[in-house]
Amino acid sequence: MSIPEPLSGTGAGPDGASGTLAPDPAGTWHRVHPVSPFVRGWIALAAIAYFFGRDWFEGFFRGEPVWAVADGRLGWTAAALGVVLVLLVGGYVLSWWFTRYQITGDHVRVNSGILFRQHRQARLDRVQAIDIVQPLLARIFALAELKFEVADAGESAVRLAYLPLADAQRLRAAILAHAAGIRLDPAKPEEAPEAPEQQVLAVPGGRVAGAALLSGTTVFLVLAVAAAAVLAWLADTPAAMAVLLPTLFGTAAGYWGFFSTAYNFRAAISPDGIRLRYGLLETRAQTVPPGRVQAVSVSQPPLWRAKGWYRMRVNVAGYGAGGENAAARTTLLPVGTRQDVMQILALVLPDPGTPDPLAVFGAGLAGSGSGAGFRTSPRRARWLSPLSFRRNGYAATGTALLARSGALWRELAVVPHERTQSIALHQGPLARRLGLADLRLHTTVGPVDPRVRQLDTAAARLLFDEQAARAAAARRIAVPERWLEQRPGSGPATDTGPAIAVNDAQDEKDEQLEQDHGRG
Amino acid sequence: MPKEPIDPAGIAWSRVSPKYITVRLIGWAAATLVGTAVLSVPLVLTLSGIWPAFPLWLAWLLPALELAVALWRGALIPRQTRAIGYAERDDDLLIRGGIFFQRVMVVPYGRMQYVDVAVGPLERAFGLASIKLHTASPATIAALPGLPEAEAARLREQLSARGQARLAGL
Repeated sequence: MSIPEPLSGTGAGPDGASGTLAPDPAGTWHRVHPVSPFVRGWIALAAIAYFFGRDWFEGFFRGEPVWAVADGRLGWTAAALGVVLVLLVGGYVLSWWFTRYQITGDHVRVNSGILFRQHRQARLDRVQAIDIVQPLLARIFALAELKFEVADAGESAVRLAYLPLADAQRLRAAILAHAAGIRLDPAKPEEAPEAPEQQVLAVPGGRVAGAALLSGTTVFLVLAVAAAAVLAWLADTPAAMAVLLPTLFGTAAGYWGFFSTAYNFRAAISPDGIRLRYGLLETRAQTVPPGRVQAVSVSQPPLWRAKGWYRMRVNVAGYGAGGENAAARTTLLPVGTRQDVMQILALVLPDPGTPDPLAVFGAGLAGSGSGAGFRTSPRRARWLSPLSFRRNGYAATGTALLARSGALWRELAVVPHERTQSIALHQGPLARRLGLADLRLHTTVGPVDPRVRQLDTAAARLLFDEQAARAAAARRIAVPERWLEQRPGSGPATDTGPAIAVNDAQDEKDEQLEQDHGRG
Repeated sequence: MPKEPIDPAGIAWSRVSPKYITVRLIGWAAATLVGTAVLSVPLVLTLSGIWPAFPLWLAWLLPALELAVALWRGALIPRQTRAIGYAERDDDLLIRGGIFFQRVMVVPYGRMQYVDVAVGPLERAFGLASIKLHTASPATIAALPGLPEAEAARLREQLSARGQARLAGL
């Protein structure tokens, strides 16, 4: 692992700054790019073109005169086409005209709607995540959509579609600077540069393809083919193989979904948080500011074990569970080696709270039994989980709780103490007979559902009490929402520096990061 | 109340009002009545000769099964209600519930996003109210039904005040 080179400014250096970084005066509003409604509504236009174009096209190939007014049909067609186009384009233009946005010192405001007006304002320091999304068509026009997420797990709080890419990046920098609590020099407000970032890892394309081929989709495909073959053999009609067709389409879609979102996946760290970039056709750049990660899981499907690959998913308030692209957005690492996992863990959990994080987290990833501080289920739990009772367990570091489970589908959930919402002990009749209990940590909506399975009842009760106390203690010293704001006493700024030493160059990297923090 | 194995040590649980048993039994009786009536339709039709093709044993079995399950559930209601408990600690609220599938939950005051107090018509007639705590996690299902109205109001004020004092964002 070599030191990643700091990326040069990604198109939004201070030279291109145009005033967007300064808080807008009360009366100043901006509009999104005029092409936006067409980029968003191109499907409607394409449908119209197809609908009307088909007739014309067929006529053309039949050798009919193209613009012949046969029984006046063309006139009506043209009129209908005109009316539909005028309505559609008029609607687009009006919706563009009535959508305005403004960034003030504390808020982002968006007014939209033609008949039903909507005025929305969101506090900048409540930002949970910012995405810059570029669908394929938007990429052609160098446009981008900016999504601003707050913690309500529903739709995005603010969506600005579409802005020129450079403007979107500048706006993101401005929002993050405000949200971080950086005091801008009043004389030269536009000199808050985009936070410098360092690329931490990039997932090679070959690994993405390999991971797709070794995923559960393949297992499903093999089972489906075998079942269909048996069916065809029993029925003695090869035609029975045709039932495979929908399965094939489904698996192809599954492969494509994984490949197109995991393609070109890169993770970077900046003082504004973790940056994730990925996508084949539609590209996305996500920023998760420090302290916004509610829970992380590292999992390993059985077929990935041979290659030593892992997948990481994350709960961030505002990403939600359903909704568009939720699966891709909550993916912290689509496929990575153990070293990649450790690096990403170092980003989301800057202070692992243990002197030997590699051993502790390594045991969490692949270990079993009680080692590296893990407490596991007692032996009698084998009646309930015959395979995984040696692996089910937990370890608590100074900053996070690690819940380990699964023998075939290995999983490790990590919850920072100060992010625990509530905790529950569960015990069903069978577990009570065996003297076992489950402990669940409640976190925000997302793919991670941390639970410690089948602990000895007394140990579970102890963990319940300890964890409640640890969470309470951690809440009192939590990083403030404005993560770069200077506080008396301990400066939280170093919190974004990775603390798990994965490579020898770590010290240099930390120094680099501390210099970056100096911009406040 | 016997101490259950997963209850934390040294906690004196506050219990919900015994009148809540009556409230739940009334609701249970109404549901049982409707359920049994609906499932008795084939029996009535068969006995009155309108639908003779329907197997008689099945016609008897349907309402009998329903009644048996309902009686079992009805018999559990007093115990279930008595199993609900809560305890206010300095930093958090403890809530327990369930007999077969037991749960003990701790909700830190600083994590509460809002508190609901709800009163249904039946509860109002008995002077009861339900209180529900919401955190940023949907898994926090922290409901305390069947509290006396005064206690519900006190708890709400207490929770809000403590939540203010220990506010911890997300």
